[in-house]
Amino acid sequence: MRGLFRWSRKWWPGLIPLVLLWGLAAWFSTVPIEQDLARGVGDAIKSDVLDKTRIAVVGRDVTFAADAFSEEGRRSAVTSVETVPGVRMVHDRTRLVAEARPYVWTAERDVVRVTLGGGVPLPAIKARIMEAARGDLGGVEVVDRMAYARGAPQRFDNVVLLLLDQVARLKEGRITLSDRAVSLAGMARELGGREAIAAALRNLPEGFSVAENAIAAPPYVFQANKDPVGGALTLTGYVPDNTAHAVLAAAAQRKFFDEKVVDNLKASIGAPRGFAEAVIQALGALSRLSTGSLVVSDREVRLSGDALYNGAARQIREELPKELPRGWTVKAEVSVKPAAAPVDASVCQRLFTEILGKGKVRFESGSATINSDSAGLLDRLAETALRCPTASVEIAGHTDNQGDDATNQTLSEKRAQAVVDFFVRAGLPADRFKAVGYGSTQPVADNATEQGRAKNRRIDFLVR
Amino acid sequence: MSYLVTFLWSWLAGAALIGLGMGWISVVQHDTAMSRAAVQRAAAVVAALIAASLTRIVPGRFGYWLDLGLLLFAAYLVGCAIGSWLRDRFMARQARPS
Repeated sequence: MRGLFRWSRKWWPGLIPLVLLWGLAAWFSTVPIEQDLARGVGDAIKSDVLDKTRIAVVGRDVTFAADAFSEEGRRSAVTSVETVPGVRMVHDRTRLVAEARPYVWTAERDVVRVTLGGGVPLPAIKARIMEAARGDLGGVEVVDRMAYARGAPQRFDNVVLLLLDQVARLKEGRITLSDRAVSLAGMARELGGREAIAAALRNLPEGFSVAENAIAAPPYVFQANKDPVGGALTLTGYVPDNTAHAVLAAAAQRKFFDEKVVDNLKASIGAPRGFAEAVIQALGALSRLSTGSLVVSDREVRLSGDALYNGAARQIREELPKELPRGWTVKAEVSVKPAAAPVDASVCQRLFTEILGKGKVRFESGSATINSDSAGLLDRLAETALRCPTASVEIAGHTDNQGDDATNQTLSEKRAQAVVDFFVRAGLPADRFKAVGYGSTQPVADNATEQGRAKNRRIDFLVR
Repeated sequence: MSYLVTFLWSWLAGAALIGLGMGWISVVQHDTAMSRAAVQRAAAVVAALIAASLTRIVPGRFGYWLDLGLLLFAAYLVGCAIGSWLRDRFMARQARPS
């Protein structure tokens, strides 16, 4: 031992190469050891749930910055870094993710994208939300503006996933979850979407509520286009159900005696109150136009086209608003088609016969009140009468043989007079028309069958 | 420590080799011994550096370089001790036959 002490006093010259070695070692090992420690720290905190993690290693000292989602998680992460072999000191720059009060999450949809914003409690939940958003909103760009925040209500993720399903039903709008209150605003993508969203919101977990649901439905649109060239009436848009569909289709068939009805209607909920009644009245007005279109959008009726003569245009403008249910509005842009060339009496007779061969003037059962379905037919007859202004016309009423003769005679006279009155109201001179009733004395078909009796109940026009 | 030894083993081996050589030479060298006072001063400096290393008051890379230097110095001392002892044994074995 004493020898060792004696020898050690002579070891100092070796310090010179040792210092050189030290310098070389410092030069070549510093960066690799820093990289190795950074890798070790990265591996150590891989299983910790952190955000905005930053690791800086200088020498063997680690500066560790991260946002943790709980105090326990924060401590665990720091400990993980401290226990990495080789780490000398840890400068702890970790902090807890900010707590949000109130806890707000939003989804905003416009035409091309969905923007998700507000707070989200954990990366795993954020990933689930983004995955669900991309799945539900196929093809729509999803923009992530969500930021981590503590303080989310329990079952936050379930609620958000439910709300994302509702975003898919929106054309545009915004859904906000504030603590446990859901607010919705915007426009549903399809008819029935508003109702579907309201139904889905009933499945919100206990404790969550709908603070405001201001989702608007898209306009409930029904359209009818009368094309005299193609001889067709095209119906498009929506009807409330199959029953209303059948009613409207039948009404269109009755009112448009000379047109083929092309029915492209679809059934959808969300119709405004009084829809069928309003559409039937509006179709009646359209049937009186030579060409035109009808657009029923929510509670607004827009009618445009050409009436057959001035009187008809005036009547449509004045009467349609009165015939619609309360709360409905009309925008009628009805002009008058140019008058057709005058014809002589024989041509007039032929035209009357042709028109009455396609449709017949209908009355309410057992009365002389003209059925509203016949308005279009009567306008065509009135327009024809206007083309032969010098001709006198006998309007003859006929009945079937049901009931007694006196009653049938009276009814036939009254029905003929009702038609004359219609023409007079339309602006034609009363002295050109003569109402005559023949009761059941001039049948054109067998009164033994219902079909024959229907043919016998008729109005004939005879040009004198 | 074990991490540093594992990571720096080649450099430590180099220091130990230098020490081994120096220890081997020092046994037969004359007139190069440090005075007692110089040894004490050197020991005090080394003790202060060890204290600085243990208390981690030197930050960052300088702290690492201090640790590195002390480890290399320790390896050097071990090498010197082994070198001197081996030379001493070698000389004793050579002296015995004569």
